[in-house]
Amino acid sequence: MPGSHSPASFGKSLPERGLLLLVVLVFLEGSVLPLGAASSPDISPQDNNMDHDKDEVKGHNITKKAFPVLSVDYKHIHTPFEISLWVLLASLMKLGFHLIPRLSNIVPESCLLIVVGLLVGGLIKLAGEKVPPVLDSQLFFLCLLPPIILDAGYFLPIRPFMENLGTILMFAVVGTLWNAFFIGGLLYAVCQIQPANPSNLNQLELLPCLLFASIISAVDPVAVLAVFEEIHINELLHILVFGESLLNDAVTVVLYHLFEEYSGVGTVTVLDGILGVICFFVVALGGVLVGAIYGILAAFTSRFTSHTRVIEPLFVFVYSYMAYLSAELFHLSGIMALIACGAVMRPYVEANISHKSHTTIKYFLKMWSSVSETLIFIFLGVATVEGPHSWNWTFVTVTVILCLVARVIGVVGLTYVINKFRIVKLTTKDQFIIAYGGLRGAIAFSLCYLLRKDHFPMREMFLTAIITVIFFTVFVQGMTIKPLVELLAVKKKQEAKRSINEEIHTQFLDHLLTGIEDICGHYGHHHWKDKLNRFNKKYVKKCLIAGERSKEPQLIAFYHKMEMKQAIELVESGGGVKLPAAVPSTVSMQNIQPKKPPPAPPAERALPQLPKGREEEIRKILRSNLQRTRQRLRSYNRHTLVVDPYEDGLNDFLLKKQRMIELEKKITEMNNYLTVPAAPPDSPTISRARLASDPQAYSVKPMSDSVPTIQVDLASPQSPDSVNLMDEFRRAGQHQHQDDDEDRGLMMKPPSEGRRPNKPGEAEGAKDQQRLVRCLSDPGPSADEDEDEPFLP
Amino acid sequence: MGSSSSALTRVPQAEQLMQETGFSPAHIVRLFDRFEFLDKERRGELRPQDFGAVKELAMNPIGDRIIGAFFPPGQETVDFPSFVRVLARFRPVDKNRSRDPTQPEPVNSRTGKLKFAFQLYDQDRDGKISRAELLQVLRAMLGMQVTEEQLQSIADRAIQEADLDQDDAISFEEFRKSLEKVNIDHKMSIRFLR
Repeated sequence: MPGSHSPASFGKSLPERGLLLLVVLVFLEGSVLPLGAASSPDISPQDNNMDHDKDEVKGHNITKKAFPVLSVDYKHIHTPFEISLWVLLASLMKLGFHLIPRLSNIVPESCLLIVVGLLVGGLIKLAGEKVPPVLDSQLFFLCLLPPIILDAGYFLPIRPFMENLGTILMFAVVGTLWNAFFIGGLLYAVCQIQPANPSNLNQLELLPCLLFASIISAVDPVAVLAVFEEIHINELLHILVFGESLLNDAVTVVLYHLFEEYSGVGTVTVLDGILGVICFFVVALGGVLVGAIYGILAAFTSRFTSHTRVIEPLFVFVYSYMAYLSAELFHLSGIMALIACGAVMRPYVEANISHKSHTTIKYFLKMWSSVSETLIFIFLGVATVEGPHSWNWTFVTVTVILCLVARVIGVVGLTYVINKFRIVKLTTKDQFIIAYGGLRGAIAFSLCYLLRKDHFPMREMFLTAIITVIFFTVFVQGMTIKPLVELLAVKKKQEAKRSINEEIHTQFLDHLLTGIEDICGHYGHHHWKDKLNRFNKKYVKKCLIAGERSKEPQLIAFYHKMEMKQAIELVESGGGVKLPAAVPSTVSMQNIQPKKPPPAPPAERALPQLPKGREEEIRKILRSNLQRTRQRLRSYNRHTLVVDPYEDGLNDFLLKKQRMIELEKKITEMNNYLTVPAAPPDSPTISRARLASDPQAYSVKPMSDSVPTIQVDLASPQSPDSVNLMDEFRRAGQHQHQDDDEDRGLMMKPPSEGRRPNKPGEAEGAKDQQRLVRCLSDPGPSADEDEDEPFLP
Repeated sequence: MGSSSSALTRVPQAEQLMQETGFSPAHIVRLFDRFEFLDKERRGELRPQDFGAVKELAMNPIGDRIIGAFFPPGQETVDFPSFVRVLARFRPVDKNRSRDPTQPEPVNSRTGKLKFAFQLYDQDRDGKISRAELLQVLRAMLGMQVTEEQLQSIADRAIQEADLDQDDAISFEEFRKSLEKVNIDHKMSIRFLR
């Protein structure tokens, strides 16, 4: 092993690297061989076998061969096999890059992947095989692109997007149009210039030029995502460039079809132009509409999934994909449909689904989009090697230069106009980054690939030029943007930890501004936003969100989310089985009064009491679950996932742990609770109500699990569970806490050690703990599976 | 805006107001028209009831506080200059304002906006947002949908987060600090009042 003698600090990386390279080589071999076997016309042993089998079937009297114990039949599986190999290659490459930190700091991943693609393409070509046409339209547009766009759309930060929508639209629509016509026109002019020796460039008509220009003028979301994710730029710039790359799809679609249609004919009339404009609106708005419809359908479906949690993520994915396909069916903008679908369905779906489903969706989307992106860049490299190429110095260099120039002029000009309408103006630095971030990518290449050779004799030249531009933008601009961002001291992304104060005050200010606008008689931004919110709250939420969650105000949801995160942190840091009982619930069976915050006299506060058998079950489940969650501490990191609550400072934990221990002491004194006949505790509404949240009418769900509270699938990110937990902590925190020498590291002492002073309280705590824990590990198909897991010491 | 000069003459103290607040003549006229619309009885000043003409304010959870903010403590009426001065706070910030330390900070600066918001919380004007005041605001915003306990815990947590000097209330400095990540210039500006 290469690394066995290296010092400890390198001990991990070197052997891994060596192994990785080895594996990669093996796989390359593996990929080349089957390709060879598949496409070679020689008679291989398998053919012989097949022939012989056929002969036998036909009944000819051929000599009987021995029964083939082991046979090779590659044709049978070759397509899925190759696909899997490619995916595996892509993933291994990704792994490999991150093992070499220095490299990935300097060079963005997209560049490395293209290089790998080049290598692989070269290898394949050396082996004499035909490179699979991997960037042809079917594969790319139907399989590789949707996951990336869905990922982007689902996690699109709505508020900054909407706030800057005008700017984004300006850049996307007007900017792309400007780019297309500027580049197309000037290219045509350049081509027409006849130097001493007329080249075949002169044959280039205006329309193909414009078509080429429209393909190349669109900023590519894949490339932008890939590069911008690594530079952690501030939210405004990110959303501007990224939003532009998403929304310019509509323009591209229309221009592409327009010019492609008429390139054969050779002329475009004014009528066609007008129709084109109308088509643009149809394409854009139609795409959004299709997406929104599917989004609402998905949200509505998710309302009913409380009994079949396992397939919840599937709905999200399938509805979104259907939206994309439906839009493509009508030649509408599939990208915009996907974005609309994801953005529309997200708030409602997230209110309905369980925590585990939420995590699943998040990780699946990140995983798919990650793999897709990797594959796209690798294929780009492979396709570059394959060609077909036709290099023409003039054309290519002029294209590259024009792209840059057009972008800069476009951004500067548009910003000048936009700044007249913006409250927060775009500075020169911002403009520079926006212009510099206009990367082109694989979409342009694929669109060009789609062109038919008979209509476009210059297709190969186009391809070469596009590849050059893509390489230029991705390599040069992609590599230098990070140092430039540092150099120009552009504001970086702030850590998104919102405090409750911010949330309260932001809402307050929203109301304030709405009021002021109303007083001024001005129907501005806030007015419409307020109206939309009201409409949303009154009608839409009722339809699309299941049960009680529809009435939860946003502030409360946010607050619960925060509390939940904290509670999870607490648990993971060693919160212990002995979490204090939930505070005084305000609800007994009689106490539920619709619409009035119950006065909640202290005497009525009660803790339901659990029968002993249940306690045992609960404790067992708790142990196993807590253990599992602790092992899950390390977070997966694509490049940026949502800031992980698990990875916060440890000091907080210790402090809270102290407080919590204080609390335990307090619990030993809490011996005098009235008990209420245990209400069927598994209804989410009841448990929520128990913890003093919703005083409104609830419906009792039948208990379908042996253990109580397992049904509580509040385990969605906005669960109200932890409210009272934190209450207790806070109250405990008010006291002076001394450092106890109770062991803090050990949480999972088996309860039989008899440290429980108070059975009901303990059970309560256990139940609560479980409820929290349930949020982390939502009951899958059956809760029983949990109980079977051995307790890992 | 050919009519602006003649319309401007109708407006009391127009010049002075423009100087003070930085509004353009067109805006002053527009605001005056609005003022007159609200002031149905043509008394030249507004009373709290006149704001009732704005129907949306009734639905606004802090509508009454906003109305109250127009009236200085103790006064029952507000005349046009005061009306304009209050609204001036919501003008977008002038980025290229000369940083002249001798000049008083304009009322629509970030600090000015924050002060206005702070005063809306701090009804008794003691310079701090006490827990009770915060609770009042929360109750107004969240209404009937949450229990008292939840409100308490939210208020507790908010104060805990923001209160740096442990006096169980939020002073202006603490208020400002808790909002340092929020783009107040953007959030508290009304575009058309530029």
